[in-house]
Amino acid sequence: MRGTLNDQSLLYLQIAAMVEDDILRGVYREEEQVPSTNELARGYNINPATAAKGLGLLVAEGILYKKRGIGMFVAAGGAERVREKRKRAFSDSYIRPLVREAQALGLSGQELAEMLREAMGDTEKGESV
Amino acid sequence: MNTGILRAEGVCKSYGKKQVLHDLDLTIEPGKIYGLIGRNGAGKTTLLGILTGQNTMNAGSVTYGGAPVWENQAALDDICFSRELSPTILFGQNNTKVKDYLRSAACFLPHWDKEYAERLVREFHLEGKKRICQLSKGQMSMVTIVLALASMAPLTILDEPAAGLDVVARERLYQLILEDYARTNRTFLISTHIIEEAAGVFERVIILDEGHILENCPTEDLVSQFAYVSGHQEAVDRACQGVTVLQSQHMGRHLTCAVRGDMDRLARQAESEDVDVAPMNLQKVFVALCGHDDLQGGGGLV
Repeated sequence: MRGTLNDQSLLYLQIAAMVEDDILRGVYREEEQVPSTNELARGYNINPATAAKGLGLLVAEGILYKKRGIGMFVAAGGAERVREKRKRAFSDSYIRPLVREAQALGLSGQELAEMLREAMGDTEKGESV
Repeated sequence: MNTGILRAEGVCKSYGKKQVLHDLDLTIEPGKIYGLIGRNGAGKTTLLGILTGQNTMNAGSVTYGGAPVWENQAALDDICFSRELSPTILFGQNNTKVKDYLRSAACFLPHWDKEYAERLVREFHLEGKKRICQLSKGQMSMVTIVLALASMAPLTILDEPAAGLDVVARERLYQLILEDYARTNRTFLISTHIIEEAAGVFERVIILDEGHILENCPTEDLVSQFAYVSGHQEAVDRACQGVTVLQSQHMGRHLTCAVRGDMDRLARQAESEDVDVAPMNLQKVFVALCGHDDLQGGGGLV
């Protein structure tokens, strides 16, 4: 998990996002237990109610499920659900700010597309595009 | 832990001609950590004294579990108000020794946990033989923290426990409170001026301003109602339609506004304008609500 919380968004959303990140990274696999409300509260010095709200959000989205008296576990298909959720938010979180900045700099759509292709080429190790 | 609701209704308090608390209502529910924030002289300590039957009031009532707190032994047994210590009392130095201060606290606090107190005294490297007037500001705060935590009171109130503590000790303070809370689920009411680092600890926050309760609500619900909007002044004005502008700061044609209101609406309006919308933290919210006109030209707005 990320080491620290920031004040760029609400704490419970950050807690939820951290757990999601770790599910995507395979730190917590499906059917494995995630940290408890109290562990998160202690780890980040936050109120347990805030940590509970973050985990509760992931339960509502079917990413985690609760075993009564034991704790929270990653649901079957949880990682896929995280990916779907992040894809839905991808445009708002990344594409729109990117386009806005590109427009402020006067980059054309073609130039932007070219830069994207180049950047993806770098990470895909010269895969032909 | 089984505790009652602490309720203040219509509380008024004046010192001489100066009215400090104005017809104030406040409810403290059991099992939550409350933060109490307010500017110097807002009336925080007066309010805490009245809530715990240690100060008189001119009008109003304070009840715990439905019964008045004033001279009510059963209620007072459940409540610990750990006051700030001062190196002087009345006419001279505060010569009370640390161990005597804690020993006398144990007499008044029936839930007192002696071993817990001893463990904390050791952890803070406090010397029992030292007199309170010989302690540093931070060490005085540590004594009040020991008293509050070891009181094991179902309703525990700390006044400025972070004052004078270094950053490591403050982190430890929040850890100790959260560890205790996880174990006991008792009610904490904590006043502080070091807002941001404590914000995550508070489930609810109470903002006291010039003797009035401005807010008493879940911390994140409050914070999520506020934002900064900045950009070209005309674009900012358009984006801010229908939300309340609390403070604004001009720099040439650049305008930054601290706003409160429907953030979904703001986001929709900002979408079509070339403006930046940034979230606030609790400390900024506090400044936006209580800064009044003290900040010249909105200085330090962002």
